[in-house]
Amino acid sequence: MENSKNKVKSGIGDTIFDVFNVVLMILLIIVVLYPILNVIAISLSNAEHVARADIQIFPKGFNMDAYQYILKDEQVWRGYANSILYALASAVCTLLFTSMTAYPLTRRDFIGKKFLTVFLTITMFFGGGMIPTYLLMMKMNLINNPLVIIIPGCVSAYNVFVFRTFFRNIPEELGESAKIDGANEFTILFRIILPTSKALLATFGLFAIVGMWNNWFGPMIYFKNPNLYPVQNILREYLYVIDTANLQQRAGSGVGNFNPTFIQQISPKGVRMAIVVVTMFPIMCIYPFFQKYFTKGMLVGSVKG
Amino acid sequence: MKSSLTSKTLSAGTNVRAGATRTGKDWKSLIWKQRWLLLMALPGFLIVLVFNYFPMYGVLIAFEDYSVKKGVLGSEWVGLKNFMDFFHNPMATRTIKNTVILGVYNLLWSFPIPIVLALLFNELKGRRFKKTVQTISYFPYFLSTMIVAGMLMQFCSREGLFNQILGFLGKKPILFLQEPKWFRTIFIGSGVWTGAGYGTILYLAAISNIDPNLYDVASIDGASRFQKIRHITMPALTPTITIMLIMAIGGIMGSDFQKVILLQTPQTYSISDVIGSYTYREGILGARFEYTTAIGLFQSLVGFILIVAANKVSQKVSDNSLW
Repeated sequence: MENSKNKVKSGIGDTIFDVFNVVLMILLIIVVLYPILNVIAISLSNAEHVARADIQIFPKGFNMDAYQYILKDEQVWRGYANSILYALASAVCTLLFTSMTAYPLTRRDFIGKKFLTVFLTITMFFGGGMIPTYLLMMKMNLINNPLVIIIPGCVSAYNVFVFRTFFRNIPEELGESAKIDGANEFTILFRIILPTSKALLATFGLFAIVGMWNNWFGPMIYFKNPNLYPVQNILREYLYVIDTANLQQRAGSGVGNFNPTFIQQISPKGVRMAIVVVTMFPIMCIYPFFQKYFTKGMLVGSVKG
Repeated sequence: MKSSLTSKTLSAGTNVRAGATRTGKDWKSLIWKQRWLLLMALPGFLIVLVFNYFPMYGVLIAFEDYSVKKGVLGSEWVGLKNFMDFFHNPMATRTIKNTVILGVYNLLWSFPIPIVLALLFNELKGRRFKKTVQTISYFPYFLSTMIVAGMLMQFCSREGLFNQILGFLGKKPILFLQEPKWFRTIFIGSGVWTGAGYGTILYLAAISNIDPNLYDVASIDGASRFQKIRHITMPALTPTITIMLIMAIGGIMGSDFQKVILLQTPQTYSISDVIGSYTYREGILGARFEYTTAIGLFQSLVGFILIVAANKVSQKVSDNSLW
């Protein structure tokens, strides 16, 4: 009797907790999504409503003026093209050089194994810091060279160790048989190891793409030439450099074929939010594919090799 | 040259297997035998050497009156002068204090929230709902600091989201980014928004490794849900929590200065200026290389001491440690 009463009691407590938890999660979803939807709504609303601050998650006075404006800015297009190029280059370099560094480490008899492992591990704890790195790039004449943001970060100790752990789990016989057929190590890596590591490559390729897409600090300090800017830095220009007057001037000089009333009615805030949306758009597109992989990728990393 | 090397390859196979003590000749043949492996590792080695090790060598300029022309070895040594210059500068007190306060507050919020969130995720019943909540909560992590800054600039403005909320509550609008006292709240709040969901992944992984039988046995013994969390889930999470905490403590000094640079305004410098943002201004924009390298070295030294100390304490108190 006593026992069953207890059970009922804890049952009610459980239900209350479940309800509370679900409510909390719905709140969490709102907190995450509301700001994003708000930004999108502002970018699609007319200037009057933006100024009146009555936009929640749906556009008011729907129009695409802000998008029309930024899509006629050739800087935005160039930034976009640069971003895509840098992101792809970064993914290719990361995957290529990381696997090439990791594969020899899986070979038990590799003579450089111990040295290379220690050599990489040290970089996980020590680094030169921002200023010495900047001076090095200056000395190597890498200022205004896109390689400066692509190559330096493409081989990280952490990634190499994750790749090594992953490669180790591939049955050795696969490589052995190829070796008997006289294939060299490059053939084994590119023909046998990498094709069986598609999940790994997808995960880290996507990480590299997202990481480079979001990179603005490197481009800001290393690129003096605005034509090299990725879209994040164009976004920075819009957020920090261009005010209302510039906005009108920019449309007047760079693009030209806007009529004055269009420029008058356009909201600088709407334009800013439009470029925020345009900048995060690829991340939103990539995310559904990405989210399948990244939890897996993180877990591969947490398995110490 | 080439023919002599190939002749060595022929003998390589036997030498390797016998070689308990390797002679010079054995080494050579071994290197030749593994030439493809070595060649393969070469690009990675060179990239790490140049872009990770050369800057470490460049840190030496912290002890010099550095001149770009004379180089690292040619410049004059001045001992600790650059460090002293920093400590005698009133900016030192300000930036160190701001860095530590921002770091500690950030730790207090950003560290526990993902743990609580992971526990709550784990208690969700519906699989689909759980997956949806997780997927949505991870998303902000993948937005760049620039995008987050752009959104915050809008939300903090007079017509922005935050003032809409204040207006709804019948309060006067605040220009959040111009008020020093709001800086830390905005910085840490937005950090939680971007990182809390993603931060649960490691904890959820640790939870998924718990043997489900433990929970069943506990249920039979009449344990309530909270008892199960306290006595099964939390103990299983402790190693992960400890390691994350040690790393977070090591990171107190290394505040995310890139976000600081984007969110600070001249009106908030007294609170928002941290070591990193000061280093950036003086070093990159002001070209005071040796001075800022010294500051950077000081900062990483403190970070290193913190992480070693946290690890020591953890070793004493529990069995968990980073190394």
